[in-house]
Amino acid sequence: MLILARKVGENVVVDGRIVVKVLRLDGDGVKLGIEAPAEVSIHRQEVYDEIQRTNQQAVVSERPRVPKLNAVTSGTTGLS
Amino acid sequence: MPLTMPSGLLGFERFKQWRLISDPNQAPFFWLQVVEDPSLTFLLVPPATIAPTYKPDVPAEDAAALGLADPADAVLLNIVTLNANAPATVNLKGPIVINRRTLAGKQVIPLNAAEYSVRHPLPAAG
Repeated sequence: MLILARKVGENVVVDGRIVVKVLRLDGDGVKLGIEAPAEVSIHRQEVYDEIQRTNQQAVVSERPRVPKLNAVTSGTTGLS
Repeated sequence: MPLTMPSGLLGFERFKQWRLISDPNQAPFFWLQVVEDPSLTFLLVPPATIAPTYKPDVPAEDAAALGLADPADAVLLNIVTLNANAPATVNLKGPIVINRRTLAGKQVIPLNAAEYSVRHPLPAAG
């Protein structure tokens, strides 16, 4: 892991296209600003981990019987 | 129908080519399957059928990545977890957004993700 010391107002450039800015220190917290191209996805790690874990729990190897649903509306998706 | 997910599904990023399967006998559910490995399958449900007030705030960059010019072209589907010893739940925190014109999809983290659970109870019949 690369470790860099930065002061408030200083930046780090990643891959020539992603700029991480140290905006403000707040107790033991730090506010970061990140500028990146639209196709780069940026998430807080804990939200990412929770969704990733849920995906791993949701995967099935075959198609089991679907739950009976007390649907609120019929819900059309326009996909057929 | 074929569905491309250029950034994959979280934890399954390496798979880009997917198949979206709808079986009229299993409506309103869909199946989402990895083309190169059909043993990786997910059950999906349109959120309107189970959570009518659900309104994920899709980040503009995700909409742009999907080429969504018109919000009407966006289709939302959420992943169902079939729990072994408990009722099924739905992940409302990480919806899959699909551009119905291009059939490109992406699992997004809505700006208001904190309002939603990854284990929202599926309103089971009976």
